[in-house]
Amino acid sequence: MHRILANAWADMAAGYARRRVWITLATEDIGDQHRRTTLGPLWLLINYFAFAATFIFVFAPAPSAQFAIYVATGLLVWNYMNDSISQAVTLFEREQSFIRGTNLPLSAYVMRVTLQNVIRGLYAVFGCAVILVFAQVNITPAWLWAGLGLVIILVCSPAVVALFGFLGVFFPDSQFIVTNLMRVAMFATPLFWTHEGEGGLRGALYYWNPFTYFLDMVRQPIVDGTVHWSSFAFSIVFTLVVWALAVLMLGAYRKKVALIV
Amino acid sequence: MVSISAHDLRLVYEVRERLSLRPRDKRVEQQTGGTISGSGNRRFVTALDGVSFELKAGDRLGLVGANGAGKTTLLKVLYGIYEPTGGALAVAGRVDALFNIDLGFRAEATGRRNILLRGLINGWSEAEIAEKTDEIIAFSELGEFIDMPFKSYSQGMGARLAFAIATTLEPQILLMDEWIGAGDAAFQAKATRRMDELAEKAGIIILASHQPDLIARTCNKLLELEHGRVKRFEGIGPS
Repeated sequence: MHRILANAWADMAAGYARRRVWITLATEDIGDQHRRTTLGPLWLLINYFAFAATFIFVFAPAPSAQFAIYVATGLLVWNYMNDSISQAVTLFEREQSFIRGTNLPLSAYVMRVTLQNVIRGLYAVFGCAVILVFAQVNITPAWLWAGLGLVIILVCSPAVVALFGFLGVFFPDSQFIVTNLMRVAMFATPLFWTHEGEGGLRGALYYWNPFTYFLDMVRQPIVDGTVHWSSFAFSIVFTLVVWALAVLMLGAYRKKVALIV
Repeated sequence: MVSISAHDLRLVYEVRERLSLRPRDKRVEQQTGGTISGSGNRRFVTALDGVSFELKAGDRLGLVGANGAGKTTLLKVLYGIYEPTGGALAVAGRVDALFNIDLGFRAEATGRRNILLRGLINGWSEAEIAEKTDEIIAFSELGEFIDMPFKSYSQGMGARLAFAIATTLEPQILLMDEWIGAGDAAFQAKATRRMDELAEKAGIIILASHQPDLIARTCNKLLELEHGRVKRFEGIGPS
């Protein structure tokens, strides 16, 4: 166990020491993905608006400013979590040229994709802010809790990326399974539907879905100025567990990935 | 003091049957050469077995052996990509490696950006890299192609850039895998001079190659691998 923890620590320390590499790669990735387009990364903002508008105008029980705020904040968090998981599962396969040709630590690849997702998320933050202004949202001190919720999500995401990265290496079918599950999860998560305490399938999807609690940490304080402490408690415990698993996987398998990808 | 000390190095790994929903594939997926043992679900590849050698500052080691003998695997162990499963390895000095040029470069980025990336990967600061960039471009003879994407380069151009970056950034230990086949005779002569300079600065060079004359011209020690084991390790000229 000591050796596994020392390995994981060595990998993460090397990842921090080489931070200029993954910062440079991540910022270039965003530019490269839109290199031939006229609007460039603005497409990220347009994508966000397209999704938000669809949910707000098509799925709203009755169009309201409150529902627009609910969808805009939920979609911001969902897009980040969805990008993190979907991209992670093929991460080490995509990076095989660097993994087999350089001695960069695995944490550098994890941070590269995490930072990419943060940059994408910042475009969505701008889009979300625009919708909140149009919906005439009230800014309350509870927003600080939403900010804390975002920090918890950011802290959790590198560990999630690492875990799904290992899953993709050792179980190649997982990339298709995860892609399909995430499509289903978008509908199974209270993103454009609300839960009013009813039971049945909707109630089960609400309570047994970990995404619910991460969304709720950020969304609830902005929507009506209240805080659900249970969402914070769940998300913090979930984050600690995921980090513990990620550290164990990194320590045990970091040098095995180059022999497999 | 720059040195490499390898004692009884072993690299044995289990070929994991990757979890999959498709029918089992009997082919062995292995990244390295070596011998395969075991059967059924538990098969092992012995990529390196009991490899021992010592190199000191100024040594130029020629690494030879048939395809799959373990040359690239040994270089990757020395570089830290693979972790030996047995034995002891002590590497003192800053290491850089040139493998197949498809590895470790960003295809979409220009040659100039790749200089920066390789420098950062090797732990250099942006200021140090900026200081060396013109020298790298001049040595690589890429001219205006330096601002074209790396993927548009021929094998020879890519190899020239890779070599220029690796040697200009002054590694203390340079590992090279078959890279020198690319590039014309004039560039090869220039590259050989550059390697001599590097070794004279009390560095260590390890060159894996199938070209005996190149090894004889540039190296003072020879290590021959066969099925992951050392067949011979000897001096081959004035050190």
